[in-house]
Amino acid sequence: MSKAAEAAAGAPARLYRIVVAEDAYLVREGIRQVLAQEDEVEVAEFCSDLSSLLQAVERHEPDVVVTDIRMPPTNTDEGIRAAATLRESRPETGVVVISQYVSPHYAIKLFEDGSARRAYLLKEHVGHRNHLMGAIREVASGGSVVDPAVVEVLVESRTRAKNSPLAHLTPREREVLAGVAEGKSNAAIARSLFLTKRAVEKNINSIFAKLDLADDTDVSRRVVASLLFLAETGTPFQSVSS
Amino acid sequence: MTPRMPVPEETTTVLDGAGAHETALGPAARELRADRDVREQLRPIRIAARRPTRIELAIAIAAVAAAAASAAVVLVGGVAASPSGLAFVLALYVLVCVVAGIAWRRARPWSPYGLALVAYGLAASLFCLSTTSQPLVHSIGVLITIPGAFFVFWLVLSFPSARLDSAGRAVIALAGGVLLVGCLPAVFLTDSLSPMQPLARCGGACPANPLQIGHNQSLATAFGHIDAVGHAIVYGLILTLLAARFVRASRPRRRLLGPVYLFSALVFAASGVYQVSVNLFGGSPSASSPAGFALTATTILFPFGFIAAIVFAYAYVGAALASMVHELGVSSSVTGVERVVRQVLDDPRAQLAFWLPRSRRYVDRHGRGVVLDEEETSTWRSIERTDGEPMLAIVHDAALDEDPELMDAVGAETVLALENRRLQQDLLDSIAALRASRKRLVAVAASERRKIERDLHDSAQQMLIAIRIQLELARGEVDTASKLERQLNRIAVDLDRALDELRSVAHGIYPPLLAEEGLAAALTEAARRASVPVELELEDVGRLPEEIETAVYYCCLEALQNAAKHGGPDVAVTMRLWWEPHLLRFSVSDDGVGFVPGQDPEPTGLTNMLDRLGAIGGRISIRSAPGRGTDVDGAVTVSP
Repeated sequence: MSKAAEAAAGAPARLYRIVVAEDAYLVREGIRQVLAQEDEVEVAEFCSDLSSLLQAVERHEPDVVVTDIRMPPTNTDEGIRAAATLRESRPETGVVVISQYVSPHYAIKLFEDGSARRAYLLKEHVGHRNHLMGAIREVASGGSVVDPAVVEVLVESRTRAKNSPLAHLTPREREVLAGVAEGKSNAAIARSLFLTKRAVEKNINSIFAKLDLADDTDVSRRVVASLLFLAETGTPFQSVSS
Repeated sequence: MTPRMPVPEETTTVLDGAGAHETALGPAARELRADRDVREQLRPIRIAARRPTRIELAIAIAAVAAAAASAAVVLVGGVAASPSGLAFVLALYVLVCVVAGIAWRRARPWSPYGLALVAYGLAASLFCLSTTSQPLVHSIGVLITIPGAFFVFWLVLSFPSARLDSAGRAVIALAGGVLLVGCLPAVFLTDSLSPMQPLARCGGACPANPLQIGHNQSLATAFGHIDAVGHAIVYGLILTLLAARFVRASRPRRRLLGPVYLFSALVFAASGVYQVSVNLFGGSPSASSPAGFALTATTILFPFGFIAAIVFAYAYVGAALASMVHELGVSSSVTGVERVVRQVLDDPRAQLAFWLPRSRRYVDRHGRGVVLDEEETSTWRSIERTDGEPMLAIVHDAALDEDPELMDAVGAETVLALENRRLQQDLLDSIAALRASRKRLVAVAASERRKIERDLHDSAQQMLIAIRIQLELARGEVDTASKLERQLNRIAVDLDRALDELRSVAHGIYPPLLAEEGLAAALTEAARRASVPVELELEDVGRLPEEIETAVYYCCLEALQNAAKHGGPDVAVTMRLWWEPHLLRFSVSDDGVGFVPGQDPEPTGLTNMLDRLGAIGGRISIRSAPGRGTDVDGAVTVSP
């Protein structure tokens, strides 16, 4: 109650109602402690499997769901399935999937039916308060987040699908794209590559033109767009011959 | 676009998934298979040429002596119309009959025809007595042709079983009747006895008939006519009987009957025509008359019929064996062998029966018990080992009993073919068993790996993650720039490293993506983790049976790791996965330094790849040459 009063008082702009789903007891306790520090959140319920999560969402109508990717009943990708279900039943609910998998495949799967209000975080980064809270705020406001470690895998990967449009990028453009995918601002990219901000902008325009991506200044959307693009070049293709 | 590559074939190691084979015999087959070294245990086939035995030599010497003596008697006897011609024909006849007898005895030692022909040939030499002028001796020489004729009737009519049937007995009885009412009265009434042989008839006056009991030449001539007509009727009946029997005979039997019947029929027909023309129509009895010449010629041919029967039987065995070897090369299934046996024996009802040594009974190719029984139209022949233990029986047409060399040869060939098949079957069975056990092993290994991966993710990793979260919380509590914070920071770095390590180990043990998302997703992930650039051309092949996905995944991973490890610093890899009809294909090619297959130490993963793919009946080929990179090419048959 005191938190709600605080929120009403003004300092934190709003109070996020949250439902957490995590089947590993120790991790669940960790998350409980992390979120207990935050004034902005109110955890309505802790669940430990898919069906209890979906029921809790119906009961509490949370702003954001923080869910483990792998839970009973099948211990595969329940978190992503929960996100897909909520996209249909409660499009306004944000979902933060926390995962032990660094494989981009799962992140891509999460963003497959729309990246808005979705975040993919590695579990070990959950303890960092800015990380989890940042993601919660981002998805609650309609944005999306992907863990930098996942992006790193894609950027470092030297895997390319045949005839990838990435082949048309200049080495400099590739470096700039990596920075974009990591979520850096244009200024940060300019600093790390010893370029002017203007040169970075020029490169980005050229990259987005070559890759046929919309010129969007919103950082998280740029990240997801880049992620999807990077990943797509390595995903299975439908062959015309069969 | 997916390149169409030839399915690997010519390679260092090719494992084939074929394994369809007949197992109709079931448990019986295993029992049969216990018999080994059949080749050594087979009795030698009788067809092999043997050295003449002492008895055969003695018979041959006796025959030459008899032939020479009879020729000499004819030449000095002075009664025959053409002594030199008769001497030659008689000596030849004696020799050919004896040779036919020896040949027959060799081929069929149990048959009475061998000795019968030898005896007949030696006895025929006595015909020379008819050329002497001493009346009694002359008469014996002439009259000996009467039992001779009956013996020939028996030979031909009882052929080849040496048993006379009722029709044969009736014909011989009729001939006996003709003897009583025609021939014998004429003998007792005629002035002189002249042999009914164109070459042997009396040239001048015949010696007086010592058996004459009354003198009435016209009555004698009348009886002679009865005799001639009776003979003609007997010959006609015999010809009809032979023709009827030949038509009725099964094809295997006709091979044997043919030559004997043909040459007998010729001599009987010529005899009938000669007797009727000479006795009834006053035709010339001379050997140069058409009837006389025909009788002489066919008489000489008669014993050749028996030789021809034996020769044809052997010739047929040779041809049959040749065709059998050819046919069995095409099909060596039990059904196929039985079909070939039927074809070669010309017996559509022939059947193979297999001896089960432990159960001590015969079974057919379906494993059903077979009771071997001699019936009127069918009988059986067992093929035995030298120790007398049966191996196989062929149930066949009774007529084939007269073709023992054929049955022996076909039996031996059948045993060899089936033994070959059994060895082949053993090999296939052990390959199949090996493949099945390898498949089980691989499956067990895969499920164990999955279990370990799950345990790692669900316990150890979760625990480390929980600690990592707690550590982060602790970091939030300590003063910045304190000693404790520095320590906590170090622990955080170590913990992150441990988590990375654990994640990579778990992934190496079993990639969860493979089980959850299938081959293409897992291979994409594997390529992302690779330390070398990988170009991917992965067709979405959908979900496949777990053992196929696992085998192909690890093969590709192995090839990818080999390329990264041995391909050199600038190696680039192309990984492909695609469908062909009923065939899942994959390839991992690199442009690295390559190796010499079979010479350079082969990449260690090679055996693993072969094992994994072999377990699911797939094929893999690895091509490489120094400086030309390495191509790993695989194919797995996937039933729709």
